[in-house]
Amino acid sequence: MKIVVCIKQVPETNDVTIDPKTHNLDRRGLAGVMNPFDKNAVEQALQFKATTDAQVVLLSMGPDDYAQSLREGMAMGADSGVLLSDRAFAGADTLATGYVIAKAIEKIGDVDLVIFGRQAVDADTGQVGPIVAEFLQQPQITYAATLRLSGPNEVTAERLLEDTKQTLVAQLPAVVSVRSELNPPRYPTPRNIQLSFEKPLTIWHHDDLDLDDSRLGQAGSPTIVTKVYAPKPVKRELTPLTGTPQEAASQLIKALKDRQLL
Amino acid sequence: MSKPELWVVAERRLDHIEPTTQQLITKANQLAGDRFHVVAVLLEATTDHLEDELTTYGPDEIRVVRDDRFPTATDAELADALKQLVDAAQPNTVLFGATITGRSIAPRLQAKLQTGLTADCLDLRFDDDTLVATKPSYGDNIMCEIICPDRRPQMATVRPNTFAAQPTPNGAELTTAKVDFHPVTRLHVTAATPVVNTATTVGDASRVVALGRGAASAATIDAATQLAERLGGRIGVSRPLTDQDRFTHDDQIGQSGNTIHPDLILNFGISGAVQYLVGMQDSQTIVSVNSDPNAPIFAASDYGYVGDAQAFMTALLGQFA
Ligand SMILES: Cc1cc2nc3c(=O)[nH]c(=O)nc-3n(C[C@H](O)[C@H](O)[C@H](O)COP(=O)(O)OP(=O)(O)OC[C@H]3O[C@@H](n4cnc5c(N)ncnc54)[C@H](O)[C@@H]3O)c2cc1C
Ligand SMILES: Cc1cc2nc3c(=O)[nH]c(=O)nc-3n(C[C@H](O)[C@H](O)[C@H](O)COP(=O)(O)OP(=O)(O)OC[C@H]3O[C@@H](n4cnc5c(N)ncnc54)[C@H](O)[C@@H]3O)c2cc1C
Repeated sequence: MKIVVCIKQVPETNDVTIDPKTHNLDRRGLAGVMNPFDKNAVEQALQFKATTDAQVVLLSMGPDDYAQSLREGMAMGADSGVLLSDRAFAGADTLATGYVIAKAIEKIGDVDLVIFGRQAVDADTGQVGPIVAEFLQQPQITYAATLRLSGPNEVTAERLLEDTKQTLVAQLPAVVSVRSELNPPRYPTPRNIQLSFEKPLTIWHHDDLDLDDSRLGQAGSPTIVTKVYAPKPVKRELTPLTGTPQEAASQLIKALKDRQLL
Repeated sequence: MSKPELWVVAERRLDHIEPTTQQLITKANQLAGDRFHVVAVLLEATTDHLEDELTTYGPDEIRVVRDDRFPTATDAELADALKQLVDAAQPNTVLFGATITGRSIAPRLQAKLQTGLTADCLDLRFDDDTLVATKPSYGDNIMCEIICPDRRPQMATVRPNTFAAQPTPNGAELTTAKVDFHPVTRLHVTAATPVVNTATTVGDASRVVALGRGAASAATIDAATQLAERLGGRIGVSRPLTDQDRFTHDDQIGQSGNTIHPDLILNFGISGAVQYLVGMQDSQTIVSVNSDPNAPIFAASDYGYVGDAQAFMTALLGQFA
C-alpha cells in the first residue's frame, strides 16, 4: 500500500504584522514549520504503516526551504519526501496548487490513499484536499475524526458535521482530510531524526511533470489577493458603570430597559 | 437582457435549513439591489418542502431540484449536480455557508468549474460585477480582500453567523430544475446519527453571558448560570475556559470558536484579545466587567464596570429578584 501525505510549511507563529509602508505581510524572521494539522495526517499514515506494509511518501509544493518540513515528517517516520519546487509554481492559489499536487500524485503512481491536514493555519482555506480529490476523480472524506483500514482495499471514517455524525466507507484509492481530534502526533525520536537525513528527498521541477502551463502559479490562479490589513476591532463609545457593584448593577438595569433589552 | 444571477446554495441541517443559508439570502438581497437576480438553489428529496423555510427570506427565486438521493448524497455527487446547474444557468456568483458541508462541496465544485473560491469570508461587497470577499487568515490576525476578476462564477464560503437573517414579506418565485444524478459508487455513508443538541447553542442565543479566565471559579460560574437563565440566554466562554469540564469547544466565542451577534452580551473576566473580539464585536449591546481598568475589552464595549466579576453578578441577580 502506498500513502501520500501532503504537507505545507507555514510560519512558526501567526503573529504576523503588516508593513506600515508597503502594506504587505511582514514575514521576516519567521521560521517555517510543518503545518500543525498536517502532523495529524502524517501520524495517521504512520499508524497504518505500523499495521500494514504501507509506504509513506510526503509531498509538498513550495520553495526549497520547504525541505525542512519534509525532513521533519521523515524524522517522525515517513519513508521519503517529494518537493515540488519551481518558480513557475509560485503565487498559486488553491486551484493552481491542487493542480500541481494532483499531477505529482499521478506521477508518484499507484497511490492508494492521499491524506491532507484539515487546513493550513496561515491561509486557512481547507480547499486543497477536495480540489485534488476532484482532479484525481477519487472519492473524498473531509474532516475525518477517525480513520481505519476496514478491509484490504477500504477505509472507514467518522466525520462530524454540525448536526450529524456520519460513518463513511470508501474504496481505495481515496482522498481524506483529517481533523486534529484524530490523534496526538508523535515526536521525532533522535534515531529517526538521524535516519531522516538518509531517506530520499526528491525535488521535482516544472519539467519533471506533465503540466499545462496556463494552469500554473499566479497565471493559473483565478483569485487575487488585492489587499491585506490588520483587523481593527470596532471601537465603541464606552459608558462607564460606577460606584459599588449594587450601584453599577442598577445603572445597567436602567440602561438595558432604555434599550428595550429588559 | 436578464440580470446576472447571484446564487446562495441552500444547505440542509437535519430536517431543516441551515441558518447560514437564510443569513446569506438576506445578505445577497442587500448586495443585489436591482442589479442581480438572487436565486436560492435547493437540492432536496421529492417529499421535502424545505423551500418553505427560504421563502420567508425573500430571494427572487428558489430553484428546487428534487431527487430522493440528495439527503444522503456525498460531496462529489452534490458537486456534480451543482456543476450541471451552473452550466445551465451561468450564474455570476455562487455563495455557500462555510460550514463543514459547504467547505467540502464548494472546493470540489470549484475544481470542476476551474474558478476561484474565497474561503470563510467575513464580508462581501460588489465592485461592478466583481465580488470583493474579505477573509481572515493567520488565525484572524490578518484580513485580506480577494477577488476573482476573470472567471465566472466567482465563489465564496461565508462564515456562519456573520450576517443576520431578516425575514421579508416579498416572497419568492418557486421554480424547478433537473439534473442527472451520477452516483459515486466507491463511497458510501453507512450511518448517520444526529448529534442531539436540543439546547440552543451559543451561536443561536440572543442573550449571552460570557466568561473568561477572570470569572472561572465554580461560584462565579454558578452565578453566571443563574444570570443566563434569568436573561433567557446562554453561557459562552473565552478559549482558556474550554479546558474546564463544564465547557467544550462548542461554547467558545472567538475566531477559533463561534462568531456570534446576540442582542446582548455580558463579558465577565475577559481581557479582550483580538481573537476573542472578532467573535463577538457585532453584538448589539456589549457590557463588560473586568478588574483591570486598562483591559482592551472596554474599548469594544458599550457599558463597562471596573471591578470583581462575581460581585457584580451577585448584585445584578439581587436586583432582578
Ligand atoms: C492571506 C492569504 C489568503 C488566501 N486566501 C485564499 C483563498 O481564499 N482562496 C484561494 O484559492 N487561495 C487563497 N490563498 C492562496 C493559498 O494560500 C495557496 O493556494 C496555498 O498554496 C494553499 O492553500 P491553503 O494554504 O489555504 O491550504 P489548505 O487548503 O488550507 O490546506 C489543506 C491541506 O492541503 C495540503 N496543502 C496545502 N498547501 C500545500 C502545499 N503547498 N503543498 C503540499 N500540500 C499542501 C496540506 O495537507 C494542508 O493541510 C490565500 C493566500 C494568502 C497568503
Ligand atoms: C490562533 C489563535 C486563536 C485563538 N482563538 C481564540 C478564540 O476563538 N476565543 C478566545 O477566547 N481566545 C482565542 N485565542 C486566545 C486569545 O488570544 C486569548 O488568550 C484569550 O481570549 C484570553 O482569554 P481570557 O480573556 O479569558 O483570559 P485572560 O487574557 O487571562 O484575561 C482574564 C481577564 O480577567 C480579568 N480578571 C481577573 N480576575 C478578575 C475578577 N475577579 N473579576 C473581573 N475580572 C477579572 C483580568 O483583568 C483579565 O483581563 C486564540 C489565540 C490564538 C493565537
